[in-house]
Formats: sequence, structure tokens, C-alpha cells
Amino acid sequence: MAETILQKIVERGHYKFVDSVETWQEAVKLSTDTLVATGYCTADYYQQINDCVEKYGPYVVFDHYVAMPHSQEGAGGVLKTSVGFMRVKDVVDFGEDEDGEKKEAKLFFTLASCDPNEHLDNIQQLMGIFTNEDLLDALMEAETPEDILKAEQDFPCEEF
Amino acid sequence: MAQKLDNKKLLACCANGAGSSLMMEKAVEKVMKKYGVKPAELRHCPVSEGKTAARNYDVVFCARTFAKTFEGNLGANTTLIPLRNVMSAPEIEKALKEAGLVE
Repeated sequence: MAETILQKIVERGHYKFVDSVETWQEAVKLSTDTLVATGYCTADYYQQINDCVEKYGPYVVFDHYVAMPHSQEGAGGVLKTSVGFMRVKDVVDFGEDEDGEKKEAKLFFTLASCDPNEHLDNIQQLMGIFTNEDLLDALMEAETPEDILKAEQDFPCEEF
Repeated sequence: MAQKLDNKKLLACCANGAGSSLMMEKAVEKVMKKYGVKPAELRHCPVSEGKTAARNYDVVFCARTFAKTFEGNLGANTTLIPLRNVMSAPEIEKALKEAGLVE
């Protein structure tokens, strides 16, 4: 069977465990660190993501403390397609959306996409993860890459 | 049984046209399969492009944040479906049912 996205994240070292951050902007920047370090995106890619969130609001924050920071398809700054994972222990505050609903995140799945096929596969797998609350709960408790893999084994995803 | 959305054109929009609109497209696809609907077209794009394209579509899906953007940009027969959770197939199914578009 092909590798799952969480297996790729672990294998490529695209994971980070953080206790707390001051601002969501800092969180987004930190979430791109491992992608920058391994040559998947440029050091200023986070700025494009932050500009987008500032312009359109925190629509990249979903239910169950999940954020998917990303920029445009074919965005400048992306060198290779991957997803960076970051778990923050303390809730990151993204403010409120236009309906006054609080937007908060602890799990970051930061997209760097330039290969449409791999991106499509990543998105489909991410949907499986984002709708799997047991897995998300386990990932929020993860401290090591082994914990990520174990969480996935314990709570397999539905295929989209 | 024939469905109202058979041969219709469906569009999913988000800010970038890269992440959440693709998730929406996949979630819509799931609902279409469940009801055996065969739309003529189902695609995703950025809101900037969707704004001008919307009038040529029968149904446009977007995150609630972007609903305002489409005001005055829809065709006479275009239904706009703003979503709270863009990847929720149950929410999409419920909204389409309420709009009388699937049964």
C-alpha cells in the first residue's frame, strides 16, 4: 500500500511539537520551519499565508482545533509538494469569524503544493484525517513522531 | 430516479482555489454519489475567478466568509450554498435538501 500522508510527514521530518506561541502569525511561521529546512518552501512562504488569512479571515481554521494554513495554487515560495504537521499544546487564537464564532487551533497541517496530483491525494487524505475526531484527539496528545504513527494505526481514516 | 442536479453545473470556491475549495468539491462529489446525481460539471476555483464565473453555474458552494462576495454576481438560476464546514458532506447534503435540490 502507498504511504499515508502521516507516514510521509514522519519520514520527511515534517513534524514539530510546540508548547505555546504568542500569536497565530508566529504559529503559521513555525509550522513552515520543517518545510523550509528541508527545501520544500522558501523562508518567506509563511508571509503569503499570513497575508491571505489577514485578507480573508481565519477560514483556514476548521472544526476540532484543526488549521490548514496554505497559499494559492502554484504560489511563489513553494518548491516541492508536502504537508508540514505541527502540534501546539496551548490553543492558538485566530480570533473570530464573521459570525462571531471563535477560531482556535492546536493541530497545524500546513500545505505546500506545486504538484497537482500529489496535492489532490494529500487533500483527500487530509479530509479523512480532519473528519476523524478520535485520530485528531490522539494527535493533540502526540509528543513524538512514533506517537503520530501509532495514532494513525489506532484510528484509521475513512477514504475520501 | 432522475435528480434535479443531473446535467447541472456545480462550482466550489475558496480564497485560493487550492485547499478548501478542493475539499468542498470532494465533499460535494460524495453527496452526488450518494444520491446518484450526475452533474455536467463539478470543479473548484478561487473566489476571484468564481465571482465572474458564478452566473454560468447552477450551484455555487463557498465558505460562509465569502457569501457576501457573490452578492450581485449570481445568475438568475444560480443557487449559492454558503457552508460553515467546507468538508462536511452531511452539511452539504442538508443544505441541498433544504434548497430542494436533492431528494
